[in-house]
Amino acid sequence: MDFTFSEDQLLFQDSVRDFLVNEVTPERIRASWETASGRDAALWAQLAELGLTGLTVPEELGGLGMSELDFILLAQECGYVALAEPLVHTALVAVPLLRELGGELAAQWLPRIAAGEAKVIVGLEHNLLVEDAHVADLLLLQRGERILAATPDQVALRHNESVDPSRRLFAVDVAADAAEVASGERAAELATRALDRGALGCAAQALGLAQRMVDMSVQYTSERQQFGQAIGAFQAVKHHMANIAVRLEYARAPVHRAAYSVACAEAVASQAVSHAKLVACEAANLAAKNCIQVHGAMGYTWEVDLHIFMKKAWALANSWGDAGFHKTRVGEHIFAEGAALGAGATFA
Amino acid sequence: MKVLVAVKRVVDYNVKVRAKADGSDVDLNNVKMAINPFCEIAVEEAVRLKEAGTATEVVAVSIGDKACQEQIRTALALGADRGIQVETEGAVEPLVVAKLLKGVVEKEEPQLVILGKQSIDGDNNQTGQMLGALAGMPQGTFASEVVIDGDKVNVTREVDGGLQTVALNLPAIVTTDLRLNEPRYASLPNIMKAKKKPLDVFSPADLGVDVTTHLTQVSVEPPAERQAGIKVEDVDQLLDKLKNEAKVI
Repeated sequence: MDFTFSEDQLLFQDSVRDFLVNEVTPERIRASWETASGRDAALWAQLAELGLTGLTVPEELGGLGMSELDFILLAQECGYVALAEPLVHTALVAVPLLRELGGELAAQWLPRIAAGEAKVIVGLEHNLLVEDAHVADLLLLQRGERILAATPDQVALRHNESVDPSRRLFAVDVAADAAEVASGERAAELATRALDRGALGCAAQALGLAQRMVDMSVQYTSERQQFGQAIGAFQAVKHHMANIAVRLEYARAPVHRAAYSVACAEAVASQAVSHAKLVACEAANLAAKNCIQVHGAMGYTWEVDLHIFMKKAWALANSWGDAGFHKTRVGEHIFAEGAALGAGATFA
Repeated sequence: MKVLVAVKRVVDYNVKVRAKADGSDVDLNNVKMAINPFCEIAVEEAVRLKEAGTATEVVAVSIGDKACQEQIRTALALGADRGIQVETEGAVEPLVVAKLLKGVVEKEEPQLVILGKQSIDGDNNQTGQMLGALAGMPQGTFASEVVIDGDKVNVTREVDGGLQTVALNLPAIVTTDLRLNEPRYASLPNIMKAKKKPLDVFSPADLGVDVTTHLTQVSVEPPAERQAGIKVEDVDQLLDKLKNEAKVI
């Protein structure tokens, strides 16, 4: 089996990286903090124009018909620039859930998502607050054993502050007349898969965030002089950066493996996602901690861009299941009777 | 109207280039390569002419080894209709590039040829002008505006101290300056479509061109590193240094 990414997947990654690095600058992110919605309609239109909002939408509904695996490298790039727009949520959570719900709901909303005309946001009970509920044209909300579809006039939103100024979090009260689109076991299964995809998106973004913090710190430590040389030449500084690099390298494979697992609907997808989210968020948290260290006191300041990426890493670590939740899932898998473990069982 | 656009594979403009340890050339190992920014502007202009209904076909041509097909595909993803690679090995000097492009011009008979004014690796700024001379075509260089007007093209040129507009009889050659347009990003559907667009490969022999080089690169050196600044005691000392050391006032 060949698990390397295809030429197309790598080409997409290159193109999307070029776009995001040029367009989603720290200055643009800071400017969005000053706006009421915190979101940039022009940027969303550009993302749609590039085909990104429709990447996982079926071709017959105006999308590119690609899988979670095709999107995973792009989600990393979204993390690299700390993209605040709900692109990862759209491609990995909202669109697949709509696809699975199918019927008139999917036929109505997926073409609009692909065209960049609508945003659909999913709120699971696992997340107490719903990110970007204020810009949603449709909310898919888990309530007990049901999934409801609510339009903006059917919800009441209460804003909550986030550690990350780019995030807009809301508690959502839904009206009784919101349409039920799934219930019982089916709703629970859909919610579990949505949770897996949300966690997978967090993991991929965490890889990008960690890489960005490393890149910023490598640049800084190559330029900042002390005792007659760049501080990056000192062993103590090198060790901080090397430790992140090692953690990051070992986090990539589980994230890519989880994307494969989700795209192929493997039975072990949930465990693979939990493993990926744990190691990727640990790498991002270590990157945040060590990069602050090597920046010295100025790393703590508002003016230095490092905190944009650090705070997003912190926020993602506790979204779509915190470390405790995901460790429990991995533990249950490992300690289950007759569990298939070891290299031979990786893709069994 | 058929438009021919030349694109060159160069080191990405974000990359900090380094000279090889032996000073023989720039080190290209593991360096990100991209389409030359001025060539990207040329492609954008050609695609805009097509979108406006002025051009009927946009052909992207590049000269180099197989790797330059990547840049041709980029041009195709941006909106060019088909590609041509003239396969060469190693560095090719501007005069040879101009001769090869002349061969392609004779084959394709475009009404308009758009090139970047220079590539960001060699910074030669010669190919467009040499092609104009070899092909006997009028040229509008350093273009900041291109307007097709019947059988003429009006090119606004960026010259020292202002702008100059020249009217050229078609077929003509235009070289692009930075302010001509802002290139678009290739969309993912167009990147996929680009893989299916035709790409022909020619050898220099097919075009009857001898690629023997007339130039020898003697050495490559990085620019001198910037010296650390100093603090001056007062305004008088600053003025003295500006006048006598920097000699700028």
